[in-house]
Amino acid sequence: MHSEAKWPLKLAATAGLLFLHIPLGLIILYAFTTEEKSYQFPPPGLTTQWFAKAWFDRPDIWPPLYLSLEVALISTLLAMILGTCAAAALSRARFYGRNSLSLLFVLPIALPGIITGMALRSAFDIMSIAFSTWTIILGHTTFCMVVVYNNVLARFRRTSGEMVEASMDLGATGTQTFIYVVLPQIASALLAGGMLAFALSFDEVIVTTFTAGQQTTLPIWIYGELRHPTIRPITNVVAIFVIAVTFVPILFAYYFTRESES
Amino acid sequence: MKSTKTSMIAILAATSFAAPAMADMVKALGAGEGQLDIVAWPGYIENGSSDKAYDWVTDFEKSSGCKVNVKTAASSDEMVTLMNQGGFDLVTASGDASLRLVAGKKVQAINTDLIPNWKDVDPRLQSAAWNTVDGVHYGTPYQWGPNVLAYNTTVFKDAPTSWSVVFEEQNLPDGKSNKGRVQAYYGAIAIADAAVYLMTKKPELGIKNPYELNKDQYAAAIALVTGQRALVGRYWGDAAVQVDDFKNEGVVASSSWPYQVNLLQADKKPIASTIPAEGATGWSDTTMMHVSAAHPNCAYMWMNHSLEAKVQGDVAAWFGSVPAVPAACKGNELLTDTGCDTNGFANFDKIYFWRTPIGKCEAEGSCVPYSQWSKDYIAVQGK
Amino acid sequence: MTAPSALASLLFRKPGLLTFALLAPPIFWLVVVYLGSLFALMLQSFYALDDFSGLILHEFTLATYAHLFDEANIQIILRTLIMAAVVTVASAIIAFPIAYYAARFARGKMKALFYLAVMMPLWSSYLVKIYAWKLILAKEGIVSWVANLLHGQWLIDALLSIPSIGGSSLSFSYIGTFLVFVYIWLPYMILPIQTSLERVPYSLIEASTDLGATPAQTFRNIIFPLAFPGVVAGSIFTFSLTLGDYIVPQIVGNSRLMIGQAVYTFQGTSGDIPLAAAFTVVAMFIMGTYLTVAKRLGAFDAL
Repeated sequence: MHSEAKWPLKLAATAGLLFLHIPLGLIILYAFTTEEKSYQFPPPGLTTQWFAKAWFDRPDIWPPLYLSLEVALISTLLAMILGTCAAAALSRARFYGRNSLSLLFVLPIALPGIITGMALRSAFDIMSIAFSTWTIILGHTTFCMVVVYNNVLARFRRTSGEMVEASMDLGATGTQTFIYVVLPQIASALLAGGMLAFALSFDEVIVTTFTAGQQTTLPIWIYGELRHPTIRPITNVVAIFVIAVTFVPILFAYYFTRESES
Repeated sequence: MKSTKTSMIAILAATSFAAPAMADMVKALGAGEGQLDIVAWPGYIENGSSDKAYDWVTDFEKSSGCKVNVKTAASSDEMVTLMNQGGFDLVTASGDASLRLVAGKKVQAINTDLIPNWKDVDPRLQSAAWNTVDGVHYGTPYQWGPNVLAYNTTVFKDAPTSWSVVFEEQNLPDGKSNKGRVQAYYGAIAIADAAVYLMTKKPELGIKNPYELNKDQYAAAIALVTGQRALVGRYWGDAAVQVDDFKNEGVVASSSWPYQVNLLQADKKPIASTIPAEGATGWSDTTMMHVSAAHPNCAYMWMNHSLEAKVQGDVAAWFGSVPAVPAACKGNELLTDTGCDTNGFANFDKIYFWRTPIGKCEAEGSCVPYSQWSKDYIAVQGK
Repeated sequence: MTAPSALASLLFRKPGLLTFALLAPPIFWLVVVYLGSLFALMLQSFYALDDFSGLILHEFTLATYAHLFDEANIQIILRTLIMAAVVTVASAIIAFPIAYYAARFARGKMKALFYLAVMMPLWSSYLVKIYAWKLILAKEGIVSWVANLLHGQWLIDALLSIPSIGGSSLSFSYIGTFLVFVYIWLPYMILPIQTSLERVPYSLIEASTDLGATPAQTFRNIIFPLAFPGVVAGSIFTFSLTLGDYIVPQIVGNSRLMIGQAVYTFQGTSGDIPLAAAFTVVAMFIMGTYLTVAKRLGAFDAL
């Protein structure tokens, strides 16, 4: 590097990052508080009992967790297929309406989640569709697809189409070309997109509230617990768990995209 | 009051909904379906997870084989919405929800012959205007009680005697203004609290029933709650949030339920409650059954179970309410023999029970309907 | 050659067909599920609610829109717009130094650390984060505790006594709502700015310096204009997310509804799906306008 950052920039950046992290520290701190119902600062005492309690005494945590995992897995898989198709098509082809289409593909993320949620809710109401796991997946896939699409599209733009042409010219079938040429090119971006989609789905609550009916995903369970706490530190324990679960995919996503770029 | 109720029934029966034929009612009970889904007020149905001593679900689940799922709702409007969506067997509806549910044909008439404990129900509640239409019962009474004035005892050495502490700007006994230190309920039904206060404060308005307000009376109530907006930092909708607000946000007086007061006292906070001289609104809740309840046998078993003296007494002790079964007042360990009196057993006639304000009303001929209340109260909170 | 691979080869030889085959599934999804639902939403907003029974009358009416333009509802819309705008500007101001540092000065391990430091808060349970803020901002919360320690309570009191944005407690005021919004959406602003800053060629900056521009001039005339699409891209997120959120203002706020809360309350609490739908249509309209402007400013290339 030719230059060093000046101190006001360093200060502003550090302050900004601190602002982002103090509440996270609190979440972790209050997983250890001795208070049960509501929090006060500073916490009156510290204990590690809630981790054991959450694990052994709270069977109500598990069904929401499984539901969230199920929804996130299925939505991510669907999103990876749909998003890759869309990215492959829109990265090369030039055709009439392409611009409007690329706008359509970012819409579910660019419009507030409440619109997606409320729109689906209206559709279910009009068509008398009963809420089920699939109604949640329908909503999640819609925005997860965009995340995958964005990641894979960026990769397609950087790779050249010549390899594909060469492969086909040398007599490889379409399937062979896809498996041996296209897939390796996009694999890491696809995985990164999938990871982000998974993390996004796992923590989503705004759209889910509208599409879940009476089902409880993990974030909805957390919301219920925060509003009517039986033992509130348990919520923090679960939150730490959620952070851990989403952190790993994020880390992987980062290294997948970085390695292939450098 | 009595004649009001009767004519209300007549109006409701004549206008919107003919009572469904008795034939629709469940005739005989079969085996439990293994599950039961209930919409309830927070704290109404406890399975011991909040406090091991308060559990009236586990035994029921064991003996009936019906697993009880509870969805809590923070307001009557939310309960009506949930029941309209469907997927529930029972709801603990207050008077401002019950008749709307009957009108919307979302709840079914119940066959009291299938509920052995029905005979123990307080006769004042058996055929109340909010659960019985045209002689047809739409559910079993559960609990009732007043909307109390909760206050901080370090600020108020003596209990406040008037609702004015939450309605009009003034200095509290600690010398500081009440601005930003009081709360009001977020549901539009809170306008009735203002109407109750105005009955004493401005007798010239001639309010006879806080749920039946003509244009002028209504305007006065709206003016009062609009003035209150400047005093209220945030309206409370959620019992648990209000508990937090009393603890952490410096709230010292608010309309409240005995439930929050109990939680705060259990936490050793200096909070007590009172019913001021003007009287109070209150609720009387009915366990009602959805028209298309998926688990009718379990629902009937629960309705019967909910009227057991032991259950009634335990709920009353936990929530701070009055049991619908007078026998529950004696010999309950958690409630103790003085519990019913403490919670207001003798106040039945002093409480203006929540009801849905409708356009046609006896007191004034033409009243402001609930839809208007709802719209205006959102506007008031936005000011 | 098997049938599927024959098909695949055919598709490759006819690029138009390939594009069509690839596009069909995602387009089908977006058109049927997404646009279809948006259409259902529009349709809902032309129904109305029967006030007493709380049931929706499925008949065409403009009554819901008439109600939408009541003064109280216009207030809700304006309040939300102002909040979204202020949150967006503040996020951009706070995000820029972080993104700038990460893009221009952080290298290797430091860069990875920066990335994770921004991503961590983004992905750690949105709800629990908001509740953590409630504890920070409460009247007897952490801010007050620190203020008392530093004898700075007067500063909070002064802040809270500002008319309209103040209140009885930080967590009962617009200031509180604003802070939490900025906190929650900040990473969405940092990442696109960082991406667009990284695309600024270093040679351009060198050229500018060589030609005698001061660092401030270089920043103003080279770096910022090139990074601007990133700011606009980030602003799409902060603006849109603030516009539609209903949980933040409910937990930290003063009971004055925002659009998201209105939608949530009307559909969930009062069961008035038509009015909730009408509010959502307003949000769609606002975002539509915003996106059109953003597209002109080149934001979509920076996404």
